[in-house]
Amino acid sequence: MTAVLETDNLCKRYGDVTALDHVSLAVEEGALFGLLGPNGSGKTTMIRLLTGQIRPSGGSARVLGLDAAREGIRVRERVGIIPEQESPPSFLTAMEYLEFVGTIRKVHDIEERAEKWFDLLEFGDKKHVLCKDLSRGTRQKLMFAQAFIHEPSVALIDEPLINLDPIMQDVVKEFLKGYVKSERTVFLSTHSLEVAEEICSSFAILHRGRLLHSGSVSGLMEAGEHLPEFFLSLVRRGRDA
Amino acid sequence: MPELFWRMMKEEWRIHSTMFGQISFALFPVMIFGIVWMSAFLLPMLHASLPQVDLAFLAYAIFLSLGFMVGGFGLLGNEMMNRRFGQASLLVYSARSLPLSERFIFANFVIKDTVYYLLLWVFPFCFGYIAASPFTGASLQKALLLLPTLALSFISGLCTIFLLSTLYVRSKAACWAAILAVSLSLGYMVVLNGSNPALNFPPYMLYMNFSWGAFIVACLMLAALFSLSLLLFSPEQGVTTKQYRGLLRPLIHRFRRLPNPPLTAKDFVDLHRSGIGIGQAIFSFLLPLIAIFLFLSLIDPYLPAHGFFILFSLITGVVASTMYTWVTEFDSFGAYACLPVATSTLIQSKVTTFAILQAIPAVFIAAAAFLTGEGAFALPAIVFCLSSSFFGAGVMAYLCGLSPGVLIYNVNVLFTYLVVNGAVFAILSALSFANPLFASISVVLLVPALLFVERAMSRWDSVDPIGF
Repeated sequence: MTAVLETDNLCKRYGDVTALDHVSLAVEEGALFGLLGPNGSGKTTMIRLLTGQIRPSGGSARVLGLDAAREGIRVRERVGIIPEQESPPSFLTAMEYLEFVGTIRKVHDIEERAEKWFDLLEFGDKKHVLCKDLSRGTRQKLMFAQAFIHEPSVALIDEPLINLDPIMQDVVKEFLKGYVKSERTVFLSTHSLEVAEEICSSFAILHRGRLLHSGSVSGLMEAGEHLPEFFLSLVRRGRDA
Repeated sequence: MPELFWRMMKEEWRIHSTMFGQISFALFPVMIFGIVWMSAFLLPMLHASLPQVDLAFLAYAIFLSLGFMVGGFGLLGNEMMNRRFGQASLLVYSARSLPLSERFIFANFVIKDTVYYLLLWVFPFCFGYIAASPFTGASLQKALLLLPTLALSFISGLCTIFLLSTLYVRSKAACWAAILAVSLSLGYMVVLNGSNPALNFPPYMLYMNFSWGAFIVACLMLAALFSLSLLLFSPEQGVTTKQYRGLLRPLIHRFRRLPNPPLTAKDFVDLHRSGIGIGQAIFSFLLPLIAIFLFLSLIDPYLPAHGFFILFSLITGVVASTMYTWVTEFDSFGAYACLPVATSTLIQSKVTTFAILQAIPAVFIAAAAFLTGEGAFALPAIVFCLSSSFFGAGVMAYLCGLSPGVLIYNVNVLFTYLVVNGAVFAILSALSFANPLFASISVVLLVPALLFVERAMSRWDSVDPIGF
């Protein structure tokens, strides 16, 4: 299998704070990869580095064979991203936002694709409402739609289930499981260990900017361990060390 | 109230100091002080042709206009605050998690902003003049009077626009009615009394003839204006499920020949739907310039023939260059982080939007030219205005990228901005005073303006996007 995302000794420092400390990992094509870690462990920094939004202080990150630091725009053309915090632009309607994204990403049948997403995530009645007037859950659905509307070969998504109701969480989880079956890759950053165990094929655990562990979920299960307990013991050990 | 106010003061300090260092931010008022102190030594040379009293008019006009330009607090609903500061956890959002009303928090926010403007701009200006007065032969008593009266001038502008912008958000008809009533009163003074309304501007009257009674009355009137604005202010501009017809696609089509049609189209949708486009055009452009026009007309007799109009077109250009701030204040780079859009592309699109908005100053100067009987010089005046505006915006884009509203408080940035613009505009003004037709020469400014924008694009692409 080919690695579509790779980091080699990746570091990021903000002044005196080390957000990522020599992290090396590889994510193979077709994986549903879970990046796990407590608050402030460096997960969002990792996504921002992989998508060329910020530059590393050391090491390198490659996505689909492209150097994320030097070719950030080309990386962002080819991947889909759900950022951690940003909401869609306040004064565009949901439909207009998808048209906006579609025009920038040069998607020609954007209207048809948008309709599919309105149907799948059940928010077609809100498509002409301004984004600022949408509930948090609906904004999250919209951000999800914009990340996948161009059917990218790699999607990097930060807490995609946040603010979604249990029914919609289930829809999204099923979608993600189906998405990777066609040799496409999802890089998922999440706090939810249960979700990671349920849908991810491989995972890595970050703590204080350091990579504590990476491996496959099935390997962990075969060893008789469960991801939540494994994560907690590893992080607690790291905290005590 | 004091607790929240002081925490907001600290928060504002940290926003700026974490972006470009504590010393750089702390030096900002020192620099204003220094510039005014040094400039004060030039005043004796100007007194031969321009009486001191009339020079004071300019200071009142500048600070009244500054108050006008920053006073549009009424336009800031929660949504605008989000867009201005991103999804940051600022204290101004704490109404949802603390037992404090939105109005109370907003009052603290406005007072905090006002105090910051006084500390950063007004007081250093006054202290610079006061410190120079023993050496320039200016009356110390008059110099000291600048402190309360210029502060009043600034707060007058701020409170007036705060009230009008609040009315504008509540009811556009009420806002227009208020503007009409003020205009009619000013027109009455001009037509029936033949006097310039600027002569009856309370802070200037206090400067000429100070009394504690009049000062207290002026303060009370401003406090009443401020309280009324707060009372009328609606913090939450109503979440609705109103359906909107699509505007983006037709605009993308209309702008298809421009460099970044979707980004420019989005800017115009933002300006239109938020009400900020018209609001800023009235409160940050039209009204400040009308005030400047009234004040500037008082020194008309001391300027060369047509000099007043040429100087006014330059000032309009400088004010118009701040439209770059209007279009950049809407977005943080974060909103585009998930898209293949570089900082340079965003700067290019903001400059494009800015360029389209320059139709406003062009029409304004053309109208002013014909209304003041200067129609013969309309073309050079428009060229001068637009060239100065593009040049100012180009310098701003180079120095501040997408964050002019924040980075302008970096002392290095402001100093460079003032020196570069000041030198260029002084030379061109001198040429234009010699012959108004020479104002057309300013078209050459478009070349360095373009170079500044190009340099801005490569400069800001090479650093991580700024956020807080």
